[in-house]
Amino acid sequence: MAKTRSVNNEEAQVNKEPFSFGRLLMYVVLIIGAVIMIFPFYWMITGAFKSKIEVNLMPPTLFPQNPLNFENFIYAFQTAPFGKYFVNSLLALIGCITTCSFTTILAAFAFSRLRFPGRELIFSLLLSLMMVPYEMIIITNYRTIVQWGLHDKIWALILPFMSSIFYTYILKGFFDSVPDSLYQAAKVDGCSDWKYLWRVMVPMAKSSLATIILLNSIATWNSFLWPMIATNSKDVRTLPFGLYAFMTEGGQRNERMMAAATIVVLPMIIIFLFARKYIISGMSRGGIKG
Amino acid sequence: MKIRLENIVKRFRDNTAVDHFSAEIESGELVTLLGPSGCGKSTMLNMLSGILYPTEGKIYFDEDDVTFVSSEKRGIGLVFQNYALYPHMTVLENICFPLEIKKVPKAERIEKAKKMAELVHVDTMLNRKPGQLSGGQQQRVAIARALVKEPRLLLLDEPLSNLDARLRIEMREEIRRIQLETGVTTIFVTHDQEEAMSISDHIILMKLGVLQQFDKPQYLYDQPANCFVADFLGNPPINKVEAVVKNGKVILADGSDSGVRLEGHDDQKVWLSFRSESVLYEPDSQLKATAIMTSVMGKEKITAFDLAGKEVRGYFDSSLDFERGQEVGIGFKKTGVFVFDYESGERYL
Repeated sequence: MAKTRSVNNEEAQVNKEPFSFGRLLMYVVLIIGAVIMIFPFYWMITGAFKSKIEVNLMPPTLFPQNPLNFENFIYAFQTAPFGKYFVNSLLALIGCITTCSFTTILAAFAFSRLRFPGRELIFSLLLSLMMVPYEMIIITNYRTIVQWGLHDKIWALILPFMSSIFYTYILKGFFDSVPDSLYQAAKVDGCSDWKYLWRVMVPMAKSSLATIILLNSIATWNSFLWPMIATNSKDVRTLPFGLYAFMTEGGQRNERMMAAATIVVLPMIIIFLFARKYIISGMSRGGIKG
Repeated sequence: MKIRLENIVKRFRDNTAVDHFSAEIESGELVTLLGPSGCGKSTMLNMLSGILYPTEGKIYFDEDDVTFVSSEKRGIGLVFQNYALYPHMTVLENICFPLEIKKVPKAERIEKAKKMAELVHVDTMLNRKPGQLSGGQQQRVAIARALVKEPRLLLLDEPLSNLDARLRIEMREEIRRIQLETGVTTIFVTHDQEEAMSISDHIILMKLGVLQQFDKPQYLYDQPANCFVADFLGNPPINKVEAVVKNGKVILADGSDSGVRLEGHDDQKVWLSFRSESVLYEPDSQLKATAIMTSVMGKEKITAFDLAGKEVRGYFDSSLDFERGQEVGIGFKKTGVFVFDYESGERYL
């Protein structure tokens, strides 16, 4: 068996892989992993369509008895100002992503391509700042926001996140991998740094940027600690507070909680589905020929 | 455009990459910068393109001093070893890009790019991305992109070294054809002597940053300026045996008389170098060599001999047959035989 396999190794890879215990085990492990990852989402979404009785049923139902039961969603919207929260979350998200992506692109290009004295030193200093715990920065950030009179304003949710050392670091890594000759070719043709950045580097970095934007979106969308500190009123608070409200004001009604959670999570899932193509291509990218 | 290089010196810290390099390149010619790796040929090219500036010396394009003029103002087209095409743009967009930067109107730049694509034979794949092209096609696109803005000077940095052997021959002929059709002055950097010999009007041979010889390819082969030039050019490589000059005769290490005469260098140690095609079969000759092996090449054969302890090769008519171990009398033609100083490589004959 082993002998014939080694001889036909190439054919075997092109044609059907013969059955082996190792492969079976691999698939079983992968399927178990997938179920563990997906089931909570499934449970949350189906749970949102269940009635109070059904959700506590023993044994539990895998599929809601009435899949068109939107009662919980309606209740969720009535209890917490989800509409307002949603708009706030969206504003914070757009504000953070546009400004942060812009500064990240510029900084990554400067640290990767431009030559200026102290470049490596400055970059190392910035990287070392990543070691400062977030909780420590919160205090200084809070003081700054208050001094600037931005407390309880939507800007308070955007301003501290307008740049990111971590994302700059990721993007610089990609920019570094672009061969120098591309830059020189553009320079010889009279291309400015600015134009080179936007016409060549950024389109090439599409998948890295998609990854950065997605990570940034999730972080912004889910952030709770900073919005709780920087805002007070319902007018500027974001979606996670909607869930918070359910725990305190609405009691522990699981089916309603799940409906609310579905509302909060859904936009992120949609964004992920759109960006997925780029993220996967970004990871499997082979680089440039030559 | 005529190019004049005056006493160019380029130092990187303690390392001198180019040392007092002077040359004049005529308009419309294809000149090759040839040399082994580390000889400074790429540094020289980078100074011509304005990516590097020389430490000393002057570069003139026609009468303009461009020594410290930045790349984009020199009017040059540059082709890189790895092609440096923009992977996210199509072939057409790649070729258009230099014109886009020059703010040429869109219709005009597409027209020009298409014409250039036709010249380099990539007009059927304008909408493909570089990743979907073969190496040779990518190189064609890179040349089209370099030529589309009608540069005064085209610079090619080892453009063929990423291609396989067959494509290399095809592309070097293509480069020559495109160069002749456009008439653009071209400087081509390579370490492959065959490539250089086959397409150049003139070759500049460099070693350790110093210009060794600047001549027509055939002249470089027939009249090498020194031992290095003779060694570098030619396939099979030139034969080289140690010898001493005694009473005007070049005597080999085993004491036999080579039959080569040299006046005025008595008692000096020298290299006797000769091309394989300059070896003659002379049954009566005093000079004997022992046959080692013979390879048949079709209309002729090439035989390896042991001559005074060194292995040498000679071309012979295919009707001649030497057995292994046979003592053969040999002589030399008048051409293709050189005597160089053993130490300095200076040419005496």
